[in-house]
Amino acid sequence: MIENYRKNNIIRLIIILMVSLIAVFPFFWMLQNSFNTEQNIFSKKILGLPELLFKKNMFENYIMVIKDYNFGRYTLNSLFVSGLAATGQIIVCSLAGFVFAKMNFKGSKILFFLLLLTLMVPVQVTIIPEYYIMMKLNWLDTFLPLIVPSFLSGALGTFMLKEYYDMIPNSLLDAGIIDGASAGRIYFNIFVPQSGAPIATLFIIAFMNNWNDLLRPMLYLSKEKLQTVTLALTQFQSQYSSRWNLLLTGSVLSILPLIALFIFAQKYIIEGSVNSGIKG
Amino acid sequence: MKEHRLRWHGKYTPWLFLIPTIVGLLVFKLIPIFTAFYLSFTRWNLIGTPEFVGLGNFKEALHSTHFMQTIYNTFGFSILYIIGSMVVGLFLAVLINKKMKGISFFRALIYLPVVTSSVAVGIVWNWILGPNVGLIAKLLLSIGINAPYWLGDTSLALKTVASVQVWKMSGYYMVLFLAGFQAIDYQVIEASVVDGANSFQRFFKVTFPMLGPTTFFVLSVSIIDSFKNFELIYAMTKGGPQNSTNTLVYDVYLNGFQFFRIGYASSLSMVLLLFVGIFTAINFYIKKKWAQPLY
Repeated sequence: MIENYRKNNIIRLIIILMVSLIAVFPFFWMLQNSFNTEQNIFSKKILGLPELLFKKNMFENYIMVIKDYNFGRYTLNSLFVSGLAATGQIIVCSLAGFVFAKMNFKGSKILFFLLLLTLMVPVQVTIIPEYYIMMKLNWLDTFLPLIVPSFLSGALGTFMLKEYYDMIPNSLLDAGIIDGASAGRIYFNIFVPQSGAPIATLFIIAFMNNWNDLLRPMLYLSKEKLQTVTLALTQFQSQYSSRWNLLLTGSVLSILPLIALFIFAQKYIIEGSVNSGIKG
Repeated sequence: MKEHRLRWHGKYTPWLFLIPTIVGLLVFKLIPIFTAFYLSFTRWNLIGTPEFVGLGNFKEALHSTHFMQTIYNTFGFSILYIIGSMVVGLFLAVLINKKMKGISFFRALIYLPVVTSSVAVGIVWNWILGPNVGLIAKLLLSIGINAPYWLGDTSLALKTVASVQVWKMSGYYMVLFLAGFQAIDYQVIEASVVDGANSFQRFFKVTFPMLGPTTFFVLSVSIIDSFKNFELIYAMTKGGPQNSTNTLVYDVYLNGFQFFRIGYASSLSMVLLLFVGIFTAINFYIKKKWAQPLY
């Protein structure tokens, strides 16, 4: 019986290892070949160490992509846009989540329902009028169209924080009321400090979503120096489609910050995605 | 209970706190949806004034084989994605739902593709699947098989892109199912073990039925997600070859921002909204009838 049990566990572990390998292998392959030369990448050999690995000019591709192809600049653009959009989202969503969880007012239910309903609407439905608005506001070729919509319409974040604030006991609220604190103070001094973890989670998830967004940067940014790293990668792909080593180097650079963030905060990201249906 | 809480904030305080949310809801959701609805009855190229054409755009769509192909692709992709991501997600969850040392490390590894960008994922898979030089082609050739053109063959391309999307997203469905497992009453399962059920019977007769609400939740998430394929299609095939991977979301982009047929693109977006609306309505109806929402 026990032997059987151990055998089962070993089989399970082997399958888990195989599955994990399938999940991670493309990234490994991407990383490995980002250290390859252009000639060698098309070689007929299946496996074999990439040409540049552990040589003096090992980082040649990386230096080229960052310096000559401006990926440093694009990464900064992405950091700026995603950071600002995510900051906006945590402010707006935590305010709204607090209101929906703890305040009674006419229209609250309908408004919340409407907010949830718009979650289902794909961005392609609203993007054409949105583009027209941005055009009329003269916001084309600025970062504003990437920041403002995600700043203001984070229904998922609102939902996630409302759920969390629902769980904070009303006695905390009552203590604030008895002390005569205003609604703003109660929110800021009692509820915000209580919700550090979900707010951080929302920040990370919003950051990742903005980082990975393609449609909006594609429509709104035509100046080369404004491009986000995800957009730049697609441009790079259509211009140098056969320079696979550089393209893979660019891919590695574009996901490196996300993977770093994921390693650092994977528990929060995974749990946050479950609780709210948001994913990175 | 409610009475005394009514007074702790002013009458307009909630609305003050909600200003950004309401502005966002109006300016970036509701007004655009209604505007797109109006535009779907017009012909327009973003400059000048929209010209009202009644049902012209919809009639044009219904008579075009291109549109029919797009609808076919949209549903084809969705069905492959929904079945694929749910089956793989459930399999992974069952596999990993075990107290073992280091299990959360493997959970993180399997989740990794979910957080990376579709563009980078599309690029690396394009390369792995590429004809002649791609890893899979090389591997198959080494055992004497000529690999098919995964992305160049009109009968394979859509399946290939959908599979890559399933690969990318299954980790997410895994954790959704894992969360559902937490809600299961383990005494029932133990009872079934005592009754002598084997692990297959245990899973299909006991565990799976108890997963009902979770399965339903996961299904509704995967339906909504199945339409979100713009980035991957852009990075992998750009709708080709010969329109064989062009889905509704991609076609809206093509018509709207490549051909500047704003009216026609808006009518496509309304078809998309209709599909999403129907699925959402069915979800709401079934949820009321059957499953208690978990989240």
